[in-house]
Amino acid sequence: MKFITPEPEELSYLRADPLLTEQELDYWPELAQALERALGLRAGRAYWRTAHDHLMALELGDLGRGRPSTATVLGFWERFEPRPPEHEINQDLLDLVVWVSGLTDRLDPQITSKLARVGVTKNKMTWPAGAVLRTPEERFADLPGFDHEPGYVEIEGLRMAYVEQGKGSPILMLHGQPTWSYLYRRMIPLLSHRGRVIAPDQIGLGRSDKPTLPHAYTYRSFTRWMRAFIEKMELTDITLICQDWGGGIGLRVLSQMPERFGRLVAMNTALPVGDCAHEPFLQWRAWVARMTNFRLAGFMNHVLTRKLSRQELAGYAAPFPTPAHQTAILKFPSLVPIRPDHPGAYENRQALEVLKNLDIPTLLIWGGQDEITRPCKVAMRAIFRQAPPVKMIRHAGHFIQEDAGEEVSAIIDEWLGKE
Amino acid sequence: MHTPKPGWLDEIFPYEQKFVTVNGRRMAYVDEGDKAAPPVLLLSGNPTWSFLYRDFFPVLTQAGYRALAPDWVGAGYSDHPFLLAQLTTAHHVADLVSLMDQLGLRQITIVGQDWGGPQGLGAALTRVERMAALALMNTFSLSQHNGEFHSSLFPWQTWNAPLTGPFFHQIGKALAHAGPSAVSRRGMSPAEARAYHHVFDEPGSEAGVLAWPRNIPWAKGGRGWEDMRAIERRVAELAHLPTLLMWAPEDEVFGLDYAQRLGELMPWAEGPATFDNAAHFLQDDRGPDLARTLADFLAKHQIGGRP
Repeated sequence: MKFITPEPEELSYLRADPLLTEQELDYWPELAQALERALGLRAGRAYWRTAHDHLMALELGDLGRGRPSTATVLGFWERFEPRPPEHEINQDLLDLVVWVSGLTDRLDPQITSKLARVGVTKNKMTWPAGAVLRTPEERFADLPGFDHEPGYVEIEGLRMAYVEQGKGSPILMLHGQPTWSYLYRRMIPLLSHRGRVIAPDQIGLGRSDKPTLPHAYTYRSFTRWMRAFIEKMELTDITLICQDWGGGIGLRVLSQMPERFGRLVAMNTALPVGDCAHEPFLQWRAWVARMTNFRLAGFMNHVLTRKLSRQELAGYAAPFPTPAHQTAILKFPSLVPIRPDHPGAYENRQALEVLKNLDIPTLLIWGGQDEITRPCKVAMRAIFRQAPPVKMIRHAGHFIQEDAGEEVSAIIDEWLGKE
Repeated sequence: MHTPKPGWLDEIFPYEQKFVTVNGRRMAYVDEGDKAAPPVLLLSGNPTWSFLYRDFFPVLTQAGYRALAPDWVGAGYSDHPFLLAQLTTAHHVADLVSLMDQLGLRQITIVGQDWGGPQGLGAALTRVERMAALALMNTFSLSQHNGEFHSSLFPWQTWNAPLTGPFFHQIGKALAHAGPSAVSRRGMSPAEARAYHHVFDEPGSEAGVLAWPRNIPWAKGGRGWEDMRAIERRVAELAHLPTLLMWAPEDEVFGLDYAQRLGELMPWAEGPATFDNAAHFLQDDRGPDLARTLADFLAKHQIGGRP
């Protein structure tokens, strides 16, 4: 357990939620004393960052008995947002009590850990029954230009899917909202001679599992899942190619594990810190907020500048047959912090400081027909000052991978050849 | 708390629940049979409630007794306070004494299993002159005798230690949602298991389940020690009462060694009458048989009953 001192600014955005109360630490005085030694305090809070990136604290109370007498575990959540799924919190609490069990000879951390995985308790440590959907396999049959056999990794009890082609250093292609790895179908074969192209589906999208709990999807959980994917796949020297939320997620991840990345290509994306909400995005956000069933094929037909066949358009709708399968894509726009105190804005400001000082070879490519991310181009340029001038593709829109997949691939191919 | 009882529960537990305020908290109880008949107080333990005695009510009332089964505060349909400090052995005993006083019970037989044993003895000692008989079943024998189950790291000590205790009992619901159903010898229907579990559905309702294990007297100065010693010191004052031990030797929590030790503390006790095919919650496994043995014992000692 590594204790930290959080910034007052971070705490100012959060609410403290008592999760576990030990009213009678005096039941085992020697454990109370061991806690005092381990935390270095008899009364007050010790904070740590959990395996799920949440801030938690153990708060000790002193009743004048020469040792702490009460203990409360606090979780810190975005002030007005629902807290994360219960099993996620419970797993973090288990990590704490396993650590506590190591402080005394009268308990055994392994037994504590084992006991949480038996009986009725184990049900509290996993997704509730029926809370995770998997899109039926037949929905993905006969996708035009996308016949890759998917691979899967398990992340937090969820199956995360990816497709890959080629060998060598990984070229990680991250899609955003409301798409999936299918969006990269034109680019994957054109860049696979440069390395091992890997295009994962974000959790909740594509072939990946889809929790139906809306509070499972947060800016933090998407970045955590992507970090776990990179760790499980043991990816290093990554070339990150990202667009839309692929960048929102990918750029945060890049700031959290920069040592794993070698090159960056950012396209029509942003790392929102809550200072550039503009009308087209706000309209999009409001439009999705009113939506109960996202008609993907019609939507893509409307926004793409390239004319697709009915069958090609159907590929975009394939993963999302019912509104329940659309939980993530209906949630995404509301996760963009549009005010400086919105969830995610603080973390992105932290990420921005890291990225500004990161001397990573960077290429910016932008579709010119995209109102949603138009102002973000300048912001991106300001972060990555080492990058050459933005490569504009005037006829392409927001989904540049589909509108101009061949041109984008050629630009990246040439750039990778030089890098 | 669910009041009135849900319909599915009423089907398998068709007994009216009554309520009385004891020491500032609501205590639920079942009161079946002739109000003028000698009362038999049926006391459950952790983590059960009067549902555990459902098979006793028809047998005892037909045999001419008034069968009463309270739910301890912190369990069943009684209030579930959040503060552990409100759930000591002394609190439970005083709650039961208050119930006995308010109902004006006389010529009482106290029947206790698990925590119903020591808490029942505590109440009996506090109202000795109102008592008629005692029956103890798979309960523990006051201080200085804690067996293998309660000393085990897996699960007992880990379930109840500081911080791990609230984690397993209140978040993990380790006992609250898997007590009698986990060790049933007879095999329970889903509705019967629900009946035991649903009273702990409310988050934060499990403090009683956590407090009870911590009331086990381990050592001088510990929680529960003084209360238990106060009972143990005076237990000989009950020597004039007909006392019966009924035991399920297959119980992994309180084996026959606990009965033997109780026999040493209460040498006037008869038994143990043993019941096989029963585990810790023997009232659920062998209810009608236990009730008949109890009725016969009371009749033998000319405590009420129909000729």
